[in-house]
Amino acid sequence: MDQKIYLTVIKAISAQKKIDSSSISANSTLEALGISSLDAITIMYEIEDALDIEIPNEALENLNSVQDILDGISQLVQSNA
Amino acid sequence: MTKKVVVTGLGSISPLGIDVSGFWQSLLSGRSGISRLRGFSELHLKIPFAAQVPDFNPEHYFSSSEIPLLDRHSQFALIAAREAINDSGLSPEALQAGAAVIGTGCGGKETDERSYQILYKENKSRLHPLTIPRGMPSAAASLVSIGCGLRGPVFSVSSACASANHAIIQAVLLIRSGLVDVAVAGGTDAPFTFGLLKAWEALRIWSRDTCRPFSADRSGLVLGEGAGVVVLESEAHARSRSADIHAELSGCGMSSDAGHITDPSAEGAAKAISMALKDAGLDPEDVDYVNAHGTATEANDVTETRAIRLALGKRADTVAVSSTKSMHGHALGAAGAFELIATILAIKNGIVPATMNFSTPGVGCDLDYVPNQPRVMKVETALSNSFAFGGLNAVIAVRAY
Repeated sequence: MDQKIYLTVIKAISAQKKIDSSSISANSTLEALGISSLDAITIMYEIEDALDIEIPNEALENLNSVQDILDGISQLVQSNA
Repeated sequence: MTKKVVVTGLGSISPLGIDVSGFWQSLLSGRSGISRLRGFSELHLKIPFAAQVPDFNPEHYFSSSEIPLLDRHSQFALIAAREAINDSGLSPEALQAGAAVIGTGCGGKETDERSYQILYKENKSRLHPLTIPRGMPSAAASLVSIGCGLRGPVFSVSSACASANHAIIQAVLLIRSGLVDVAVAGGTDAPFTFGLLKAWEALRIWSRDTCRPFSADRSGLVLGEGAGVVVLESEAHARSRSADIHAELSGCGMSSDAGHITDPSAEGAAKAISMALKDAGLDPEDVDYVNAHGTATEANDVTETRAIRLALGKRADTVAVSSTKSMHGHALGAAGAFELIATILAIKNGIVPATMNFSTPGVGCDLDYVPNQPRVMKVETALSNSFAFGGLNAVIAVRAY
């Protein structure tokens, strides 16, 4: 499941920013990837669709790195399970 | 003395071609952009004919990162704006303080309808985050501003089928007021969506064969799509940079019927024509050519004929009047821009495009409609009429420069 989340998040970021997924790692900061707030909500939309989850607005606060997204999504998926 | 406003750039993407050259060549050869409606199942739609931009592929014009932001009507507006600016030769520095006023009758229908389909038909619970910025009625104006680096007054104007003329007139007024020296203005619409076609279907004013303005056998309008954009400048600004000036945009007339929501009034339309002439300091005798609104509906063509007679008096007996909608269809919020470009090119080239598909004059249609053959003639002064549903009239007077 973790691998599925990881691939989904990386795919959503790479599709939105038109960058190669190999250039994105868990440690990448959203700032370094040039992710604007509009990018962020579009990426969340793609992740929601792919994983069939509902990401609450509060979950979008204090996201600084790809790892933050991965952690948040993992928590959500676990609490849904 | 009011500031003179001149036209220094033309751009269009239309059922007649992807640029102004294709548009004008088609108008001269009488080639129609009207064909059977493409892209929809005939089982579901009664509207048989349409004027659609042929073989349009957004990927030829925009990068994959731009396309998600661009509703079809914004794509058209940007393509036409880029061509007009390129034609004007204006530098990015000169554009910075410029205005952009974009008319649209329908706005982002493609985006809106897709979202309704997702919610109501596919029963999904979430929409793409770009649904609002892509579909908002001011999207095209914003994206022209972003895409062309225009940082002055930017807004959209909506007055149904008169949207482009009203938008262009607002831009003229901005220049005359001294607020800006440069403005990019025009209209855009992309009305070929299932819901909107159904709504037009309900009005029962669409043609069963083709668009035949002022002709006895006319059966209604043919919807079109695309965008037309012009670059306007104060005469002083254009001359200071030795720009190639296409024509002078000399007069603006606007009126409202304050009458019926769909039935047009000859008096209201005539008032707008007279105001445009007065604003330009012209007399009815000066008018050589009228590019008519000429939708080929029962109501418009008789009313417009009466309006031209009311406003131009004896001059109406001899003035050349044609409706280029017979070729590019009725592109709603873009219509006035297509027709202004046709009018300017008629002045520049000394050729008036014909009213095509004309057999015999309809009852109450007794003007010289330049039937079926373009006419070589000197055109010093011309009018371009737009009369919208809701009784909103906007007429532009153009002079040779």
